Amino acid sequence: MASPAVLTMIDITKRFGEVTVFDKISLDLKAGEVLSIVGENGAGKSTLMNVLSGAHPHGTYDGRIMVDGIEKAFAGPQESQRAGIEMIHQEISLHLDLSVAENVLMGNLPRRFGGLVDWRLAIDLARQCLSEVGLDVPPREELRNLSTSQQQLVSIARALARKPRILVLDEPTSALTISETENLLGIIRRLAASGISCIYISHHMEEVFRISDRIQVLRDGKVISVYSKPEFDENRIIEDMVGRKIETMYPKETVPLGPEILRVENLTVPHPFMPLKNIVEGIGFRVRRGEILCIAGLVGAGRSESVNAIFGTQKRLSGEVFLEGKPVKVRSSLDAIAAGIGLVPEERKKSGLIAAMSIKENMTIASLRAISWKEVIRKKKERNLARRFFERLKIKAQGIDANILSVSGGNQQKVVLAKWLMKDLKVLVLDEPTRGVDVGAKVEIYHIIAELVKSGVGIVMVSSDLPELLGLGDRFIALADGRIRAEIERRDVSPERIMRAVTGIQETMENEREE
Amino acid sequence: MSSLKKILNIKETGIFIPLALLCVLIGIKNPVFYSLLNLVDVLRNTSYILIIAIGMTFVLIAGGLDLSVGSFLALCGMVCGLGLKAGWPIPVAIGAGLAAGIAGGLLNSLVIVKLSIPPLITTLGTMYMARGLVLVVTRGTPIYPLPEAFSEMGIGAAAGIPFVVLIAIVLSLVAAWVLKNTIYGRQVYAIGGNEETSRFSGINVTRIKSSVYVIVTALAALSGVLMSARLGSAQPSIGDGYEMQVITAVIIGGTSLSGGSGTILGTVLGALFMSVLANGMNLVGVSVYWQKFVMGTIIIVAVGLDRYRRSTRRS
Repeated sequence: MASPAVLTMIDITKRFGEVTVFDKISLDLKAGEVLSIVGENGAGKSTLMNVLSGAHPHGTYDGRIMVDGIEKAFAGPQESQRAGIEMIHQEISLHLDLSVAENVLMGNLPRRFGGLVDWRLAIDLARQCLSEVGLDVPPREELRNLSTSQQQLVSIARALARKPRILVLDEPTSALTISETENLLGIIRRLAASGISCIYISHHMEEVFRISDRIQVLRDGKVISVYSKPEFDENRIIEDMVGRKIETMYPKETVPLGPEILRVENLTVPHPFMPLKNIVEGIGFRVRRGEILCIAGLVGAGRSESVNAIFGTQKRLSGEVFLEGKPVKVRSSLDAIAAGIGLVPEERKKSGLIAAMSIKENMTIASLRAISWKEVIRKKKERNLARRFFERLKIKAQGIDANILSVSGGNQQKVVLAKWLMKDLKVLVLDEPTRGVDVGAKVEIYHIIAELVKSGVGIVMVSSDLPELLGLGDRFIALADGRIRAEIERRDVSPERIMRAVTGIQETMENEREE
Repeated sequence: MSSLKKILNIKETGIFIPLALLCVLIGIKNPVFYSLLNLVDVLRNTSYILIIAIGMTFVLIAGGLDLSVGSFLALCGMVCGLGLKAGWPIPVAIGAGLAAGIAGGLLNSLVIVKLSIPPLITTLGTMYMARGLVLVVTRGTPIYPLPEAFSEMGIGAAAGIPFVVLIAIVLSLVAAWVLKNTIYGRQVYAIGGNEETSRFSGINVTRIKSSVYVIVTALAALSGVLMSARLGSAQPSIGDGYEMQVITAVIIGGTSLSGGSGTILGTVLGALFMSVLANGMNLVGVSVYWQKFVMGTIIIVAVGLDRYRRSTRRS
């Protein structure tokens, strides 16, 4: 493809005060090309994109940006948009209370004489944009009622409604499941074929390899390497990203499985929004000591709801929990924790961290009894305990008194893990344990999980990251529509089998049900 | 880091410096400010507010709010006064007043926790209810005379320091220690910082949340009883608008309205600042009509400065 560069960024340098985020970064983007930018958290990817989008306006950085060979000086996001650059952010920025159509056409709703909105045209336009991303929802539907993945597609439809020439996608799949990711990748390829250039930022290397024409690796604010399609080498690229050799991504050791440690029977969870509907319908499973049980499924299949119901943070209609064969009454998370169950929640910021507290305080919040004499916290004991786990989990921060938000997502997640490692757990439930975590920290988290298993803990893991699931799991259950569709042992597992089960293909072929 | 910088970085210095400046300025304008009589008076006035503000600090740190303290102050003062009038022994009457406070706090927490009605609404409601009860029972007239021995307690002092000031000091020390060093204190910060994470971490959120409302209302009751003793009567309109003064003192002291942070030292300084300001304006001769305006301006400036300081430190 010898097409001319649509976008060229030359020697871009960005500083915040005395800190240089990146130094003389250049990139160029050709028409109809998908360029992936990869690197660990803090490598400067998002900041670079903020320079491009005008969020960091001209004058706050050094270097030049050229679109179609013409130098641009964006004073703000509007100007960048006018030049045909659209951003799709990791965190969805839509209006939940407005309709799908209003969201898609935000800022350019068609008008009739007198300045009134031409709703009929608006709905038609919205429907067109939605069909481009393969989303089949009524345009008048309130956005709140859509699933996260549908919302993500709406934000892409919104970007497309403005007819961009360059589409920047920052971790667009972090909230999507496997098949939804498939769908999105397909859309991106189609867009590229139609001449729209894409910059793709993701931690999911598998996606990156499949979708990219070129991959540019950033580390510590510098361009380390650029690879073009035929020469992608997973190991080399990951080594470029982390700056050191990674022996094995998934440290799977064979741990002798012990007796049953957790058994769940007849678990039924009502749907959180829809009355009279259950999101999980009578499921049950067992976990043995030293075993990693993985729960696979699409968004809305009831994975998080199942594990939260076991932990007592979600209402359930029925369901018994047995630990080491003995029934446990879980009325709330207090009971679950007292019995020896821990949960690393899906949404770290919302339910895993306390933003105003230090790393130390976040670590010890569930273990205060253990470091106290009667009701009084022994500060020295607390420091020692926190420091021990700080070192053991190789948390990268200024120290245990640093604020939790001052560290990267991966290190935050290690702190959440430390919170549970401090306690003598029987079962640890991990809900998307590496979401938003960079490659280096991911591997470290896998090692922590491996260590836990070796010490005889039973693990239940929910993840949308299929390679991760396959790399770590001993046994897999596939959920779809709140039911278990398949149970697969490690020796029999393959990505295709899981995909078939979670999308319900097997099910409908084997027994045609009513509906 | 130099020790000066360290001092400047302590949260409470945000209000300490304006407070010191205020004291100097008032002293220059009117040296009477520094007379023992006036200083003791300022401390006494501070204490009635501070006793409640200590409880309010717990409530705000836990991410809550309580508007009913002024009304419960009056209600509990009244209960105590009625008891005394009926000839109950002084300790029993005081106990009844405090029990009324604890009951009021339980009512607040029950509605907030069990019915999930936001604290702003709940305590707005109970604020009117409690004040209404006082008016129904007293028909708007003060309850007096109260026994000599009771009044003496209100006027009494040890080594020249009024009892109420001593009580406020002891309560401040205890509360500061509890917040800093106990499991309970840490959990109060935790649920204000992030209620959901706290629940996921096994903290009994319901219990901690309930407790702070009981604490603040019990302290409002204590303040009410002490005030009745001081005045020698239980006044139906007393404590009107106190909720705002108390909340202001706590917020000026650097406690966040959104929960998760704050200190008792800050609250003590905030309460002192409020009463020094009121006292100073009288001494300097600021028109009574202007005083509220000045107060309002200073609240905004003080909190604004604090926000600014924090935002610059973070970046």
